[in-house]
Amino acid sequence: MNRSQHIFGSGLVFAVGLWVTWVSYTQQPAEAFLFPRLIASVFVVLAGWTFGKAVMGLSKVGNGVSRTMFVNMLPGLFVTLVYIFWAAKSLGFYTATAIAFFILLSMYDPTPHSVAKSWIKRGIITTIFVAIMYGLFAMLLNVYTPKEILF
Amino acid sequence: MEFIYYFGDVFTPLSLMLLLGGTIGGLILGATPGLSPTMAVALLIPFTFQLEAAQGLILLGAAYTSTVAGGAVSAILLKIPGAPANIATTLDGHTMAKNGEGARALQLSFLASAVGGIFGVLLLIFLTPVLAKWALAFGPSHLFWLAILGVTVISTLDSASVVKGLLSGCIGLWLATIGFDDIMGAQRFIFHPALGGGINIIAALIGLFAIPQVLTMFAKGRGNDGAEVIEVQRHSIMAAIRELFSRTRALSIGTLIGSIIGLIPGVGGQIAGLVAYDQTKKFSPEKDKFGTGHPEGVIAAEAANNAMVGPSLVPLLTLSIPGSPTAAVLLGGLLIHGIFPGSDLFDNHPDVAWTFINSMLIGQVLMCIFGLYVAGLAARVAQVPQSVMVAIVLALSVFGAYSVQSSMGDVYVMACLGIGMFFLERFGFSAAPLVLGLILGPIAEANFIQGSMIADATDGKAAYFMTGGLNLFLIVVVIASIAYSVWMELRHSRYTTKEEAQA
Amino acid sequence: MKQLIAGAAFALTALTGAATADEYPERPIMMMVSYGAGGATDFQARIVTMTAGNEDALGMPIAIINKPGAGGRVGWNWFATQADSDGYTLAAYNVPHFIAQSIKGGVEYSTDSFEPIANWGADPAVFVVDADSPFNSMEDVVAYSKENPGKLTVSGAGLFVGHHIAALQIDKAAGTKMAYIPTKGGGAAAMKAVIAGEVMGGINNLSDAFRAQEAGNVKILGVADLERSAFLPDVPTMMEQGLEVDNSSVNFRGVMVPKGTPPEVIEKLAITVPEMFANSRVSKKMEAGGSPMHIMTRDEVIEMWGQRQQTLNELLAGL
Repeated sequence: MNRSQHIFGSGLVFAVGLWVTWVSYTQQPAEAFLFPRLIASVFVVLAGWTFGKAVMGLSKVGNGVSRTMFVNMLPGLFVTLVYIFWAAKSLGFYTATAIAFFILLSMYDPTPHSVAKSWIKRGIITTIFVAIMYGLFAMLLNVYTPKEILF
Repeated sequence: MEFIYYFGDVFTPLSLMLLLGGTIGGLILGATPGLSPTMAVALLIPFTFQLEAAQGLILLGAAYTSTVAGGAVSAILLKIPGAPANIATTLDGHTMAKNGEGARALQLSFLASAVGGIFGVLLLIFLTPVLAKWALAFGPSHLFWLAILGVTVISTLDSASVVKGLLSGCIGLWLATIGFDDIMGAQRFIFHPALGGGINIIAALIGLFAIPQVLTMFAKGRGNDGAEVIEVQRHSIMAAIRELFSRTRALSIGTLIGSIIGLIPGVGGQIAGLVAYDQTKKFSPEKDKFGTGHPEGVIAAEAANNAMVGPSLVPLLTLSIPGSPTAAVLLGGLLIHGIFPGSDLFDNHPDVAWTFINSMLIGQVLMCIFGLYVAGLAARVAQVPQSVMVAIVLALSVFGAYSVQSSMGDVYVMACLGIGMFFLERFGFSAAPLVLGLILGPIAEANFIQGSMIADATDGKAAYFMTGGLNLFLIVVVIASIAYSVWMELRHSRYTTKEEAQA
Repeated sequence: MKQLIAGAAFALTALTGAATADEYPERPIMMMVSYGAGGATDFQARIVTMTAGNEDALGMPIAIINKPGAGGRVGWNWFATQADSDGYTLAAYNVPHFIAQSIKGGVEYSTDSFEPIANWGADPAVFVVDADSPFNSMEDVVAYSKENPGKLTVSGAGLFVGHHIAALQIDKAAGTKMAYIPTKGGGAAAMKAVIAGEVMGGINNLSDAFRAQEAGNVKILGVADLERSAFLPDVPTMMEQGLEVDNSSVNFRGVMVPKGTPPEVIEKLAITVPEMFANSRVSKKMEAGGSPMHIMTRDEVIEMWGQRQQTLNELLAGL
């Protein structure tokens, strides 16, 4: 059923293994790559073995990713990626966190969106959470976070 | 018995207040993702500037013991191990919390921590001179074999397939080589500037454990929350105590392994929990229960974690050599008061030395009391709706990864590793062996290179790595461990084919 | 429209420019230490910055951030390439480490990437042996090393750090070849190797060696500096023992900022920071910890960096 997925997954790992092996054996200085070579050799053999098993349809462990799972996951993953790779640095850490937190809360909250009260509740939870994070990290631990445009 | 004489000093009002503050603060800091015990103790150093030496050390000692135990809270409830020490705790602890047994898991973890911790400190009190020799017995060749032993443990740890377990370990070992090579200074596999400093172990830990969980919650989608509501079972403290002492095998294996491994400079604290977990699993008649929310997994891991605290200070207190990063920070705490660990400490400042050690003893008890008190409350986290949970875990991961070195690069690495790990997990790979590889890789490599350099200057590599009682002992254990894995694999494949035939 | 934006941009830069000159610092400052928490550099950095928040100093606290790895390369690479040059990101430097590494290559920094602010400490390298060792002076060490070329194992905190430089200088001066064993984990790991008998001798920081000697674990045979240390008045220098080893390996520790930091900020720091180091509370704590202080102003540090660059170029040319 998910044989093609297993082939794809273990194929990717195998490809990484091949790349690592190639880099380890070609890069200089050789002394520094002694240990990576050792690892890469074992890595590529095991990855090849796993890949071979997947191609023959013998992979038993792991259920792959089903279509519904993937569709469910996509919006959340998108918000996560935007939050981490763009917003946190460009909008300011706490603003980005508040926005991402609120969006995720709203997206995966089972309460219907037409209920006004649920929006208020989400807003309150977000505010409290961000306030706690600010108190803990900015005030108590003195962590300097990117502030950029907002806060 | 000298230490009893100094117990009074711990109970002066100021000392007691510091002890309480250090314990509670330590629990909170320990439960904060991204703050390892080392960082937590380093953060407290400035507070000790104003205090007397003994009082400053009370604060640091209490904080050290309770941050180690506090790490279990986020490991069990959120599946975010705060430090490498808590990886093994997530394996069964988080599953228990998901089954509604969070209170039980937390209670057991704090109780086991206290038992292990007190045993460890008692070892520190009574056996320091003997232990100091043992701590120094481990040279580069032994540490190399010890790391290899850790690698062989990988295959059987929390993984359904031995080959995939080993492969996960290899991926971890490879990830550990990214960045600057520590001895030569050569650049390896740096394909993005964020990787220049290598992969930070704490950021990686957070990513590998927390992010796949976030994505799994995403994948469940909106709605159908009603079916998911977990009933948090109340669990009485007395029952937890009774349970702890009925599972003596896990408790004693955890405590002993934690104290012995905790002594070894540089390696101990990081892998004590995992090795204890693995050994308890191997000696248990109910091997298959491990990983499915078995209380013994939590007990062994946490007993080992805290048992390591006392012995890990032996090299520092006797020889003035910090055996772990946290011990190094504590050394700083002593130095600013002009106290040099070593014979000077016990001869000229016995009040400081014993008050410090006593405070760790009392700290263990206080930590346990506070821990038990909050366990019931904290376990309610499992009842938090999934939408809130997912947002909290994600935000905590980002803050945690960032705060380690105030670096966005670490957050990127955390996210990439986490997303990659989610897909790998769906294909039967697992995070624990990968992390073990990530931790052990640098230890194995550095000791191998250092050992070879010494060997080349003296009597050759073969003689250096292969002779001597300790080397031979470790090699035998490595071979036994591999043989065990092969046997497990054979048994496992027979088992699965039979299952498939039935299906 | 374009003019409007340009005007606004100008006004903004003028505003921020003014702010940096007068009000700096207006928020907490971060200082990067390229070694792990608990190491000698980290420990000293925490002490010398503890009074930063006082009104007579910077008026804002300095938070220490550790970026350890590869003998400091990781942290300094980050500092040279990614740190903001707004005066709110400082770093601790270790000379000769970063200069030697930049000469050796493979890193993205050199003395031109940084602007020194002030120096706080100078920790000479010393030669240590286990307390039970048959060696009692540098003469014994050199004699053994001459008889057994390449067999005398000596530990140190890494390649191209002060300890390694001292080993190279001893080899050059005595015409010997010692087996230098770099350890991972800083001076503490190198010291452990000596005490545990894994190596025959070691080169370590004076402050750490002093402590180990007090604890009765090691003997200190020589100091790689121009003069004897106040902490160890009985230990002769290398020169006194006939080895032409100068102070090139002395580990100077101080504060720097990245190139491109506004000159007003550098000026303000260059005036305030040495005074902050001179605070009596700081020196008391430093002395208690066995860490030698050596305060130098910005100009003195610039000169010192230049000298080191030259000597190290010569010493490392043959490697």
